Amino acid sequence: MKTIDAKAKDLKAVNRALRAAVGGEPVMVKHAHHLHGLAAGLKFGQVEVAGDAGDYLGVLNAGATIHVDHDAGQYAADNMTAGTVVIDGDAGYGAGQYCYGGDLVVRGDAGDFTATMNKGAVILVAGDVGDEAGTYMLKGDLVVVGDAGANFANYLIRGTVYIGGNWKSLGHNTRQEPLTEADLAKLRGYFEQYGIQADPAQFKKIVAASAKPFYN
Amino acid sequence: MAVVGAFCVSVNREACLNARMPGKCATCAEVCPHGVYALDPVTGQMHIQNYNACVGCRICSEFCPADAIRVNPAESEYLSRYPWTLAAVEEIHSKAQTGEYLLRGFGTQGPTPNFDMITVVPSQIASAAPLDKYREECDLEVVIGEDTCARPLRLKLPFVWAAMSFGALSKEAKQALAIGAAMTGIATNTGEGGLVPAEAWLARGYADEARTRKQWEPGGYLIIQWSTGRWGVSVDYVNAGDAVEVKIGQGAKPGMGGHLLGSKVTEDVARVRGVPVGSDALSPCRYYDVQSLDDMRHMVAFLRDVTDYQLPILFKLGPSRPYADVAACIEAGADAISIDGLVGGTGCSPDIVTQGVGIPTIACIPPAVQALKDYGVHRKVKLIALGGIRSGLDAFKAMALGADAVGFGSAAEIALGCRACYACHKGNCPYGITSQKPELTARLDPVEGGRRLANFIHASAEEVKILTMLSGHRRIADLSPEDLRAMDLNTAALTGLKLAGYERPLPIWEAVTPRPADDQPRTNGNGHKRPKPKARRVLRSKAAA
Repeated sequence: MKTIDAKAKDLKAVNRALRAAVGGEPVMVKHAHHLHGLAAGLKFGQVEVAGDAGDYLGVLNAGATIHVDHDAGQYAADNMTAGTVVIDGDAGYGAGQYCYGGDLVVRGDAGDFTATMNKGAVILVAGDVGDEAGTYMLKGDLVVVGDAGANFANYLIRGTVYIGGNWKSLGHNTRQEPLTEADLAKLRGYFEQYGIQADPAQFKKIVAASAKPFYN
Repeated sequence: MAVVGAFCVSVNREACLNARMPGKCATCAEVCPHGVYALDPVTGQMHIQNYNACVGCRICSEFCPADAIRVNPAESEYLSRYPWTLAAVEEIHSKAQTGEYLLRGFGTQGPTPNFDMITVVPSQIASAAPLDKYREECDLEVVIGEDTCARPLRLKLPFVWAAMSFGALSKEAKQALAIGAAMTGIATNTGEGGLVPAEAWLARGYADEARTRKQWEPGGYLIIQWSTGRWGVSVDYVNAGDAVEVKIGQGAKPGMGGHLLGSKVTEDVARVRGVPVGSDALSPCRYYDVQSLDDMRHMVAFLRDVTDYQLPILFKLGPSRPYADVAACIEAGADAISIDGLVGGTGCSPDIVTQGVGIPTIACIPPAVQALKDYGVHRKVKLIALGGIRSGLDAFKAMALGADAVGFGSAAEIALGCRACYACHKGNCPYGITSQKPELTARLDPVEGGRRLANFIHASAEEVKILTMLSGHRRIADLSPEDLRAMDLNTAALTGLKLAGYERPLPIWEAVTPRPADDQPRTNGNGHKRPKPKARRVLRSKAAA
């Protein structure tokens, strides 16, 4: 495994080294907690981040697999279009915003505004999420194994939100639906793929009450 | 205020082909997208079924083969009963009936402070002599990001197209803007609605996707907009252009996100935006992934990173607090800042926001310039002025106030054929510019439209050149507020320009304007240096000492 030590290096140096190194074997990045925008816009490759990651980890990710073994800062996997981002620790405010595709897995907790304007990604949070998670979601799945804060799934347009625990309050334009066989199979698949201990049958499913909640 | 009944359609029955031979001609009913005319299926006779539906776009009189139709503003006593004008009355009726606020497209209606009360000061004998427009050179090039980027944006002329999204505009209109930019060497902007097919290579002047054959010289540029809705954004999208523009706000609705009505969300638009067909696409009013200026700085850093430090980063601001906002953009690391004034256009916005929110363009530029000067980056970080710029004259005035380039938005639409009927939000644009209906967009030919746009740009550039040279400058970067005078107190107060006749800025501007000696030209026409003004000595009376 190739290693890049990001200590005292700036974003330009580290991301350039990363782009040159990815492709074959996984690349490990150490001491990168001070960098905001680490592994931005990678199209392929496998990146292992040892320790914490800063803000905007894997922003505009277009196909790379990024694994963080501690916590990530704010806006992890922002605007991802493809690929996988796995965070073993917690994620800060706004993880998985504006994603068009790919998978984001947070094994710890995630902050407020998680999966805002999700447009097609699968976002799995094994712990709890903060307030306003899943706001203005247009497509894709948000799966929360723990509890959610206030205004959960606010202004849902399309896409599905699954939650294993409880929420403080549910946002506008939401409706609870019973789980179908397809949902159970899908959840089981996600949990098996990422090794999350949870029982799909205990989950609640939230969908949009209307596809056109706005002016028209 | 989309005024119902504000237009009066009159048909000359003697000239009308249908009146003479029923069933012979139905052009007006075919071209009118607003349902003003109707054809009787039995008799074949044409009649006006709904006067109130007319928005005054004049497509019927344009297409009438007999030139028999006139559309005039209704000159009723009702219209002049200010403040309870027909518009105000209709607005209240509409709200009372539906419970909904009014939405409207295009831009601000009615008089607002604009460039009209500014005059250009020509050179005579006391300042640098005028230059000869016909026989001498004038440099109109503007370079964005010269010192900071590997691939700076070299605009051949000091113009850009304002950001207008696919969705608000038709695909054909977006392609026409790209071709117009390619023909003139200026930049087109994707707007927030993602890339339109062919836009990227048309804007560079290529006739085919493989970029083997260059059809239009000198070839233009494409600015990629990175906006709050992030519609259609991927790493390839960001790298598809020659610059990235971070949209903070826009002139027509500062503080609100883009608003695309469901009637314009067709399958193509829905695919780019990821919203259901026929549902309103409402962009967030802010970046969900930016909570502080530090975050914005990091956003600029990763945008530079994913574009490999090649492309300039622009910011687009609505008209709010120009000094502080521009200062924040400089802090965030902008290479250029677009500032959009009150009159800036939109595809759709709440009427009250378009009408009553934001400050005029002429009042945005001086504080923005002051911020750039205070940071020592005026003319390095470029300032692009937008909002109600109609001609080379307006452009010159904006540039003399301190902008480096100007943007045309509404003016570009009008160059494509628009008649400013303020009904962009309906999605029924009869000229195919702000519609997504195939039968209407087929009326707009992108290449012909591009040619019209290029003609407009060439004419405006010549106008700027005339004015620059008659005021004694060889480069637009040398223009200064000294080349302008305000013709009324309001404009002098808003801009800090010298008041014509009074020849000084108004006293309220004294604290912020440099001493008059500093902005006087240092040489006269013969190249003799003026003596530097002596330091003023304050005389005190002995008694006070």
